[in-house]
Amino acid sequence: MSGTPPGLPDPAGDRDGRDGWTGGRDGWTGRFEDELLRLGLQPARARRLAEETAQQAAESATAPDALFGPAHLYARHLLTELNTAAPPAAVPPRATQPGAIQPGAIQPGAIQPGAVRPGAIQPGPVRLRLTGVGKRYRRRTVFSGVDLTVRAGEVTAIVGANGCGKSTLLRICAGLTRPTTGTVHRTRRVGFVPQDGGTAGWLTAGEHFRLFGAAAGLAARRAGSTGEHLAARLAWRPEPGQLAQHLSGGTRQKLNLVLGELHAPDLLLLDEPYQGFDQGTYLDFWKQVLAWRDAGKAVVVVTHLLHDLQHVNHVHDLGAAQ
Amino acid sequence: MTALVVAALSAREVGRRRVALALVVSLPLWFYLVRRDLEGQSIRMLTLGIGWAVSTLTLFVVNAARGIDPRLRLTGASVLDVIGGRLLALTSGGVALAAGYWALAEADQRLDRPLAAGLMMALTAAIAAPLGSLVAAVLPRELEGALALLSICAVQMLADPAGLAARLMPFWSARELGTYVVDGADSGYLWRALLHAAITWLICAGGTYALFAWRLRLPRYLEP
Repeated sequence: MSGTPPGLPDPAGDRDGRDGWTGGRDGWTGRFEDELLRLGLQPARARRLAEETAQQAAESATAPDALFGPAHLYARHLLTELNTAAPPAAVPPRATQPGAIQPGAIQPGAIQPGAVRPGAIQPGPVRLRLTGVGKRYRRRTVFSGVDLTVRAGEVTAIVGANGCGKSTLLRICAGLTRPTTGTVHRTRRVGFVPQDGGTAGWLTAGEHFRLFGAAAGLAARRAGSTGEHLAARLAWRPEPGQLAQHLSGGTRQKLNLVLGELHAPDLLLLDEPYQGFDQGTYLDFWKQVLAWRDAGKAVVVVTHLLHDLQHVNHVHDLGAAQ
Repeated sequence: MTALVVAALSAREVGRRRVALALVVSLPLWFYLVRRDLEGQSIRMLTLGIGWAVSTLTLFVVNAARGIDPRLRLTGASVLDVIGGRLLALTSGGVALAAGYWALAEADQRLDRPLAAGLMMALTAAIAAPLGSLVAAVLPRELEGALALLSICAVQMLADPAGLAARLMPFWSARELGTYVVDGADSGYLWRALLHAAITWLICAGGTYALFAWRLRLPRYLEP
């Protein structure tokens, strides 16, 4: 199903004198397929999608990059579309986990745990599972016996009083803090967005994209274009040359969010990421969270805003500070 | 590759802090100027100034990156990428600073052993970067770290070079090389200095790596 019959030279490659629009591992299709694989697609499916995309481009006699844009961005977009398009299936409501509360108990109209929202995909494989997790600093027990399961396509909120250990729990999920008791099972690709910090004040947004892209194994140009693409979804266009320390608090948090998502993680851990957001950005943020969920990502968000809970599938209450 | 990006961006970050950079770059100059009347002593002081400047700069750069390093690790960077890249940038900057001051000293004075003088300054800069990062790893707060470096440099400056205290200090190699360069001592001083520098570098770089490998370690969570 390739755009170029086997054994024949790629006409596109002949036309522009390069490796070709569609053929070869270094061409657009190769990059597209590589990105699909990097995003976790099965090799056979990635191959088939790459071939179909190449065929579409060949049929319209247009170079794939002119038709679809950069390969890595189109791969992300296509994956999101595919996940969103998956038919919603009714799933039986799951029992609320110990320590978890029903969102509806707090906010009228909040969804029930386990319910599938319109347009949302059916919750997929487990991305994070905490069993009996506890944290103690010397003699002070911060929390204990936390059980939490988060699946692909779900948003879970962690709520609780100041000092009850919400951020500590999120850091345990990330692996940045060790639990004193209990076990954590977690998917390998994780994005972590801290409450504050986590950026370098003397670097620009573009340089952050390059730095985090390099850490994730992305080439500089690809990291830059992906970062700008993700920033645009938060209604932000990074200005070249503007240092992170000169960004407003809300915009710096947008940068934090983009950095957390740059390497296309399966699990996003967000620690009150909306600090400094204005009303519009706050709404954009939740739209983005739902888009992640609909794209099959698992999202855990620490929050103290009760009206946030209408957006989430599960709420885990850590209770009062101990 | 990641280490090179970290190095390039660390250098860019430091380069943008123009006032701090100017103060750091000029620090060895004051050491040199206050002893300019004594030729040999001025070279020794200049070298110690380079060591102090580079180690202090490294301390602040490493401490400033504390918030970003764990995120880089989570994103996929190794400890060697993060720490190695930063040390590469600061060592390169330090050696460039040493080269500049070597050219100044060479133009200002007629050094008997100019190449050895250049080696002394470059070696001191190369030791200073991992020393600064080791202090940053041990003392995460900037004030404490800066005071520790001040103490190290002061002891190095004041202690008798032949005594045990001076030998245990990281810049003792500069004192030995200084004797070789300024006083025309035999090559035994040169080799002792090189050996001491190599051991100091290994301890500082290895210690930095070990401490950050422990601090930035990520648990191997099983897949659910």
